[in-house]
Amino acid sequence: MKTARFGWLTAALVAAGALCVVFPLFWMAVTSLKTVPEIQRLPLQVFPDRWSNLDNYREVFQRQPFGRFLLNSALVASVAALSSAVVSSLAGYGFAKFRFPGHAVFFFGIVGILMVPFQSVVVPLYLWINRLGLLDTYPGILAPDLVSVFGVFLMRQAIEVVPSDYVDAARIDGASEFGIFWRVILPAVKPAIATLVIVKFMWTWNELFWPLVVVNSPTMKVVTLGLVSFTNMYFIEYNLVTAAAVVSVLPILAVFLACQKWIVRGVVMSGLKG
Amino acid sequence: MDRQRRAGLLFVLPAVVYFGGVFLVPLVESVIGSFYRTVPGGLSQFVGTRLYVKVLTDPTFWQAVGNTLSLLVMSVPVTVVVALAVALGLHRLRSLEARSAWAAMYFLPFSVSLVAAALVWQWIYDPVYGVLNHALAGLGVPPLKWLQSLDLVRPSLAAVNVWARLGFDTMIFLAALQAIPAEYYEAAAIDGASAWQALRRITLPLLNPQIVMVAILELIFNFKIFDTVYATTQGGPAGASQTVIMLLYDTAFKYFRLGDASVMAVFVFVSLLLVTLLQWRLFRRQVEY
Repeated sequence: MKTARFGWLTAALVAAGALCVVFPLFWMAVTSLKTVPEIQRLPLQVFPDRWSNLDNYREVFQRQPFGRFLLNSALVASVAALSSAVVSSLAGYGFAKFRFPGHAVFFFGIVGILMVPFQSVVVPLYLWINRLGLLDTYPGILAPDLVSVFGVFLMRQAIEVVPSDYVDAARIDGASEFGIFWRVILPAVKPAIATLVIVKFMWTWNELFWPLVVVNSPTMKVVTLGLVSFTNMYFIEYNLVTAAAVVSVLPILAVFLACQKWIVRGVVMSGLKG
Repeated sequence: MDRQRRAGLLFVLPAVVYFGGVFLVPLVESVIGSFYRTVPGGLSQFVGTRLYVKVLTDPTFWQAVGNTLSLLVMSVPVTVVVALAVALGLHRLRSLEARSAWAAMYFLPFSVSLVAAALVWQWIYDPVYGVLNHALAGLGVPPLKWLQSLDLVRPSLAAVNVWARLGFDTMIFLAALQAIPAEYYEAAAIDGASAWQALRRITLPLLNPQIVMVAILELIFNFKIFDTVYATTQGGPAGASQTVIMLLYDTAFKYFRLGDASVMAVFVFVSLLLVTLLQWRLFRRQVEY
């Protein structure tokens, strides 16, 4: 068969492509371990002289409160992930298992928001946050990230396939509506919740646009803002920029590698959110 | 029964209120705001469609639209085609372990923020010390100013977008490929179909919904491109990489011309709405297969 004959060629091409894709990340990592003379040396040198050279990392944390940035990002992303898990699973249950006036209007209204680019609402949102005195605060940074349409959609899909018999049986046993949600529905959709929490955490961590709009003071910056601030100079010190980039990427990469299965599920279940 | 209706409504209420407050109300305000000019002192003055005329006749705005479209044309087809090729390649690997290991490598950039991605690429593109020019020097190519020249800045940024998005699209295609029943290919093989024929007659038609979906998602993503540009060129050189969203951001938050920015916001919304409607049409045609 033809497939067998070209099997090695396919494998070689796939491998070569994968190495090209990973190369920028590799280059980021090795650059972050080099000194300035090393990154400017000719001919080009791939590996750092000393693998244990962490001076760039030290410098990054000295020049900017990068620890604080990490903390801010972790806090914002955690709250966003949790609140979106709570609100989305409640709404997902309501949309999947109940019929009530306005059901279709609300559901398609929410899904319709996918068509609204965030940038189209950012000016009024900024004015609201300003009026409420929430500029430069955690609630201000979090405001548009507390729930995502993706989450509601994902949870509705997941809860829809939980057999309605379970719900009915619990109801006959006299369980309250919230009790059914808590004890019957939630345990059945744990994988979907895990997917949502991980994906939402990642998105919020990587976000730039909104934090750029609401954050002014250095102590409220999130890591993406911290990263950008390393480049607002005439001369870019790439050994520092790459070290900062590694610091910003590493936590998310760890989560990513540990939970890749869930993330792929999330991506596949709905290729939502551009 | 009544209890259940009320319960259902209560379950969806937090989400409905949230999305109404954070998206619907501001969207309406954006539309209203596009008819008002903010005068010094913070007061708003109704100016009718004057801001629309102003923005839509401004060459800077159309240059940004043109730049955005040119970035889009350079990155969307490449991303979709390469992702499809990668997914097909991964799918042909026999060993499942090998398949998921290589797939993980393609998927890796998905977890990296666009800011970090852009900065790393800026370093790779560096005209003097960048690894790309070093590698090309080995082939006898003179050093190029990837992000600093009017001609190269958009293709260079488009390449960053392709790199950042490739894994996401590949995963969607790969999942769809794995869902195609093996019997289809066995039947085709019995009928004497070549691998090329199987690809054209079975795989691609069955993948059509995913191809359309991914193309639309990429279109939307690239239309809204901001992070990579902001972190690297800030729209330069000489506005050659100024995108619509970059211009919107500068107009609103650098020059505080909120009315002008609202006109751009409405423009972006309407453009993407048209893209989505187009998507529905394409999907509907697909159903007839």
